[in-house]
Amino acid sequence: MDPVVAEGLRISGLSYVLIFVVLGIFYGLIKLLLRIFPRRDDSA
Amino acid sequence: MSELLRGIIGMSDWRVWAMFGVGLALIWLAVKKEYEPNLLLPMGFGCLLANIPFSSAVGGGFLDVLFKGGITNELFPILIFIGVGAMIDFGPLLQDPEMLFFGAAAQFGIFFTMMLALLVGRIPGIMGIPGLREAAAIGIIGAADGPTSIYVATRFAPALLAPITVAAYSYMSLVPIIQPPVIRALTTREERMIRMENPEREVSKTVKVIFPIAVTLIAGIIAPMSVALIGSLMFGNLLRESGVTERLSKAAQNELTSLVTILLGITIGSSMGGRQFLNPTTLLIIAMGLIAFVFDTAGGVLFAKLINLFRKRKINPMIGACGISAFPMSARVIQKMAQQEDGSNFIIMHAVGANVAGQIASIIAGGLILALVR
Repeated sequence: MDPVVAEGLRISGLSYVLIFVVLGIFYGLIKLLLRIFPRRDDSA
Repeated sequence: MSELLRGIIGMSDWRVWAMFGVGLALIWLAVKKEYEPNLLLPMGFGCLLANIPFSSAVGGGFLDVLFKGGITNELFPILIFIGVGAMIDFGPLLQDPEMLFFGAAAQFGIFFTMMLALLVGRIPGIMGIPGLREAAAIGIIGAADGPTSIYVATRFAPALLAPITVAAYSYMSLVPIIQPPVIRALTTREERMIRMENPEREVSKTVKVIFPIAVTLIAGIIAPMSVALIGSLMFGNLLRESGVTERLSKAAQNELTSLVTILLGITIGSSMGGRQFLNPTTLLIIAMGLIAFVFDTAGGVLFAKLINLFRKRKINPMIGACGISAFPMSARVIQKMAQQEDGSNFIIMHAVGANVAGQIASIIAGGLILALVR
């Protein structure tokens, strides 16, 4: 395989997986925030 | 006398006429079809200004000054993001954080198109062989997010900036035409009629204030190249959600966004010189932009169908298509499609949540590409 194409494939795959990982972290963050601050709190 | 005649003589170049046609077509799309008029109209006029023979607007003129001061240094897309952040309500996403994953899935078109550009570039005689950087800049059209496309293209392929921007904004405005046939091809009527309960959960103001700060810090630490993009988006959102900077939030949403959109549009239009724009590569980029949007949509829908295999309470797979960043157009399109199948089906809250997630995911995608592609 052309080395540039192979590198492109590696970066594409890695980037796509990493997007899920980063957004998965945000998912955990939101869940945590909702647990810590469960109700409407307009005084913040 | 020759000074007066040289403009008329310059009109003998067919490319001038062709680019006048392109500029007028953009203005027509903006005025008659109302396709992204705030951007396509300034772009169309900028294109006219740049292609008038011996135009004083370019070649050291005010449009060149704007290009160097706002595009080359990536200032305009960053300022636009502050305004976009101030306009976005992350509430629907915070109420239903699972929607984040649809934002991730619907970035598939970026990487599919990046690979396609690399492969097409290797067919002799079709396209100048693009390296990874050019292919990534073409692929980022699939972010369905104008400022991110401009930001990445400016860094990786400044010569391709104009066609990439035209493709990104044109297809964003064509989402109501592009997405429905792709969704219909990949889903059954029963799937499109799936109802989803609206999340009842209230989100506290504290969560809304902490969210943009925490996302900036986390994304910035993981992918420092994304700090400018995600940081400006989240800064705008913090202005909105803090509740103490209403004047600044409104200024970001209105005056800042309007002013920078004018400058951004006319400046991008000015980069559409006939010599650079009229070549087969431009046509290929515009074709690949469409492919990027199609595969974004397909990626989101198929991901929703995949996770439905493991869920008791099914997700309407059309929600997956909202993971593209074209906000809020995509969410509206999906709600309309849901109601075409079942007039009493309301999935708009989930659709907006996925759509907002797409905004975040597209920026993360841009940051990762900037970090990984050398």
